[in-house]
Amino acid sequence: MEHFNKTFCLEVKGDYACFTRPEMKVERVSYDVITPSSARGIFEAIFWKPAIRWRIRKIEILNPIKWISVRRNEVGQTASDRSEGIFIETARQQRAGLFLRDVAYRLYAELEFIPHPNRTETKRSVPEPLLDTWEKEEFRKDENPGKYYGIFERRARKGQCFNQPYLGCREFSCEFRLIDGHTTETVPISETRDLGFMLYDLDFEKNVKESSPAFFRCCMEQGVINVPAWDSEEVRK
Amino acid sequence: MILQALYDYYQRKAVDPDSGIAPEGFVWKEIPFVIVINHEGDFISLEDTREGDGKKKRAKKYLLPKSVGRSGSNGWMTSFLLWDHYGYVLGHARSEGEKDQVMAQKQMLSFIKKIQDLPQEIKEDNGVLAVIRFYDQRSYEKVKDSDKWEECSKIIGCNMSFRLDGDSSLIPCNTSVQKYIADQCDENADGVTGLCLITGKRGEIARIHSDTPINKDSKKFVSFQRSSGYDSYGKEQAFNAPISKSAEFAYTTAMNMLLGKDSINKVQVGNTTSIFWSQKEDVFEAIFPSFFGYNKDNPDADVKAVKTLFESAWTGYVNTNSNTRFYILGLSPNSARIAVRFWHTGSIGKCSGNIKQHFDDLEIIRPSHDRGHYSLFWLLSAIAHEKKVDNIPPNLSGQIFEAVITGGTYPATMLQQTIRRIRATQDVTRVQAGILKAYLNRFHRIYSTKEKETITVALDSNNINPGYRLGRLFAVLEKIQEEANPGINATIRDRFYGAASSTPVTVFSQLLKLKNHHLAKLDNEGRKVNFERMLSDIFAGIDASMPAHLAMEDQARFAIGYYHQRQALFTKSSSNNESKN
Repeated sequence: MEHFNKTFCLEVKGDYACFTRPEMKVERVSYDVITPSSARGIFEAIFWKPAIRWRIRKIEILNPIKWISVRRNEVGQTASDRSEGIFIETARQQRAGLFLRDVAYRLYAELEFIPHPNRTETKRSVPEPLLDTWEKEEFRKDENPGKYYGIFERRARKGQCFNQPYLGCREFSCEFRLIDGHTTETVPISETRDLGFMLYDLDFEKNVKESSPAFFRCCMEQGVINVPAWDSEEVRK
Repeated sequence: MILQALYDYYQRKAVDPDSGIAPEGFVWKEIPFVIVINHEGDFISLEDTREGDGKKKRAKKYLLPKSVGRSGSNGWMTSFLLWDHYGYVLGHARSEGEKDQVMAQKQMLSFIKKIQDLPQEIKEDNGVLAVIRFYDQRSYEKVKDSDKWEECSKIIGCNMSFRLDGDSSLIPCNTSVQKYIADQCDENADGVTGLCLITGKRGEIARIHSDTPINKDSKKFVSFQRSSGYDSYGKEQAFNAPISKSAEFAYTTAMNMLLGKDSINKVQVGNTTSIFWSQKEDVFEAIFPSFFGYNKDNPDADVKAVKTLFESAWTGYVNTNSNTRFYILGLSPNSARIAVRFWHTGSIGKCSGNIKQHFDDLEIIRPSHDRGHYSLFWLLSAIAHEKKVDNIPPNLSGQIFEAVITGGTYPATMLQQTIRRIRATQDVTRVQAGILKAYLNRFHRIYSTKEKETITVALDSNNINPGYRLGRLFAVLEKIQEEANPGINATIRDRFYGAASSTPVTVFSQLLKLKNHHLAKLDNEGRKVNFERMLSDIFAGIDASMPAHLAMEDQARFAIGYYHQRQALFTKSSSNNESKN
């Protein structure tokens, strides 16, 4: 079936944000603006299924970039399902962090529909004996991207989400609003700056177990960042 | 962005032959003692390269093959090429303990092995050949008989190297050795390759980054301890953040240069060390540190720098319209790591404008004997316990620094801390009054609250804020007491300042009663009338009832009012004296 990806726009804002830089993730320092992978996480928190993929295309920065230095306690361990859990008192770490303050962005993302044969096998697919024969034959013949566009629009407008979207770290939750183009919106900040190489996302396509990071040169022009397409040459994997 | 800016700074310095930044694979190191040998490898003498007197003695710096990180139980296996500390060079242990003795021997063996493993053509170099002979003949035992050895062994971990008798430079500085090191950098070893997040090019990724000296200690700027919650996606250590070896060398070298002993691009305020640099060479870089630090060699540097800044509009010495980017990075050590306290980028024009604004805000009338120091160091010492900057609460110095540079509001803790200091010492100094004025004025300018009252540099008789008026009243009452009892040791200020500034209603009724007695003691009738007039002027602005307590901001105005009035009382009397004469 022929179709075009539909682009959705969300306005997000929050009091704090930390898009941790990989090189300074121990004593955290944030990127100047939201990263594409973090923006993807916000869209996925509202709606995601194995049938779709979010592609971030544009980021508009609505508030001037402000910083705040905070020293806080974090956990110095990662949880594993094989362990009996973490005892916070023994794994506490005091770390300094340089976070962003009072952030607001408009995020534009394409909802990409993945036709059934191209989907990767999910971990919890329906077991064979439970599948009806008619289900196999008729399986998702009626499936089309419009259905997912509709779901996302309804969910985002109502403020529904699987988990509260956040700005880089779970503790910095954000509010979101679907922008449908009818209202007049605030203009992005008038600042043009080269923000250097920025993490685009992790590349799981080549090797699922040993993922590698992908970077792109992030340039803000009059408060707008045009994010290159994942497959373009500008994204270095 | 931080690492990228540092990388660019290195590139800028690397093209400039006068900058003295080390090329890739090299490091500038101080070598206090040099072993002089002849071509046959015989020990000639031990040479002391240090210059200067007493504690300021500084060794000569040489461009040597880069040091490598070594730690853990197998650290002894790694040695530097043709230079190292005396454990490696001479097998001299740091103590008499058996463990240390064995360790030193092991270290020396690995040092010798490193030289012997060099390719044949390097070993044919006169200098290197002499060093090999030096070890073959066990000449190193003779070094300890030298008369300079005692002084050398006093320096813990004294770095040493070799020099051929008759040559002027060290053996590791020989052209053939230097060429060998430079060639090695270009060869790609078989490490992990990946995409570098600074340059965006593929290259060999550094596993561990070099040390950065900060606050008398050496720590790493980018480091990830294993299994402490930093390993993500199965990556450990610096593979968490892929940075190529050459980019790693560039940014650490640039940073170490900025943080170095003689660096002029460094200011330390409190526990935060700030380094700053501009995109292009600019005079602003040179005067910048004077605004913040305290220069022991030149205590008046800040006064001069501020003067330069203010006069720049006419002289053009500092280009206040410059669009050259200026970077300021605030660092402070945090449990074996270096944390970024603040990071600011902006144009030089904007930055100098903000600093000028800061001094405008801080400006307050001062007695003629006050020479007027301005730097952040003096500001912090005015609000610190016992005037020691070390007693400043953590983070405060960094926040004030940031406010000065960005032109934002000062931290509220600055106001609170100042008022606490004033109440503890029961006195208001010029700097303290200036800080309070700066805080209030800037706060009102940025948030433009209804109260559109800016505080003036000198006494403002139109200000009707109750805090300000009461402060003035307090100053006049104190003056009356002083004139009634000449040579008095403790005035009402020493007893009542705290209460008068926070809960006026409790003390002012008593103070006003006291005033009547003081006035009665005055002989000069004219003076009496003068004071009464002054008091009624002040009272005219205060509402009928005395406020029960003053909020923090009003306490600040009380302090400023007190300071202003007191200055006015003294300047007036001095001008009277002059007219009499």
